[in-house]
Amino acid sequence: MTCRKVRKLVPLAAGGDLRPREAAAFQAHVDACLACREDLEAFRAAMAGIKAAAKAESVGEWSEGEWSALMARVAAAPERAVRPAFGARWAAAAAAGAFLGFLVLGILFRGPSPRPGKGPEETAMVLAAAPGPQERVAITMVSPETGLQVVWFLDKNFDYEGEQD
Amino acid sequence: MRMNETEKELIDMVLSGRTEAFEPLVAPYRGAILALAVRLTRDREEALEVAQEAFFKAFRSLRRFDVSRPFRNWLFQIAANEARDRVRKKMREQAAVREAAGRTHDAGGPEAGHERRQIKAGILRALEALSPREREVFVLRDLEELDIRETSRVLGLSSISVRVNLSSARKKLREAIRRQDPRMEEKR
Repeated sequence: MTCRKVRKLVPLAAGGDLRPREAAAFQAHVDACLACREDLEAFRAAMAGIKAAAKAESVGEWSEGEWSALMARVAAAPERAVRPAFGARWAAAAAAGAFLGFLVLGILFRGPSPRPGKGPEETAMVLAAAPGPQERVAITMVSPETGLQVVWFLDKNFDYEGEQD
Repeated sequence: MRMNETEKELIDMVLSGRTEAFEPLVAPYRGAILALAVRLTRDREEALEVAQEAFFKAFRSLRRFDVSRPFRNWLFQIAANEARDRVRKKMREQAAVREAAGRTHDAGGPEAGHERRQIKAGILRALEALSPREREVFVLRDLEELDIRETSRVLGLSSISVRVNLSSARKKLREAIRRQDPRMEEKR
């Protein structure tokens, strides 16, 4: 490593921010080069002074009134302010999915349709077959125009679990 | 610094609707967030607004907090984003005012004149002379002592960008020191 390269790395080296491979080559150079070593030490001293001055800068403090006003604003925020994990869009999708789940289950509990059923290729919605007790509901929606399929999974409480394109 | 169990419990309480748990959750960080905001905006009133908005946004977004991260750094991230938006807006407004007035803004008054005679004030002015990005990186890495990885995560930058801006910031500050008081570079 040349002196020129070392001088370029001094600002990062002074804070211990070189990558390990760079740091090894850098250290090997400054161990052997007095001028670069002095430059590094001067930089470190300057940085220590800067940090001390910056940290000592008065940044003020919250007045109790300011803090109380903020907490009152939080307390007054509507419950929905704490956003659901998967965002408002997905919350709406989950709600729609739950509604469709109820709809489909309602149809199922009425028993099979007296009419011959339509094939999956003709319907926009299909309930996935699930063996045994119904623990999970899958709702498949098919766009008749694009053929795009989206499957929503709901648990037995009709809570949204996820989807699959 | 990892999140402690008490913080996890408080977060769960807030998410279950007990908003009164938010204050004990964030109160330990109120000084740190205000200090960060002051250092990034260089304006106490602006900083207070940044800190208030940051805490409110933290409340609104709490469910999206990744519990594997330190809570403090997440708050730093929100505050840094808020400060950045405001600094940019302020710079645009100041540029427009200067353009309209056709003159440069002189911030110095009698108090500023007194401060200029002090080395410390010189360093703080040098901080103001950094670009917003350089200042963000310097404040988080050197004053808040986050490592490069966390700094890059908080600011949404690559670690290369953090290193480049950090190097540039430190060089500028060192030059300011040289101009103000070369004795500060003497060996200790």
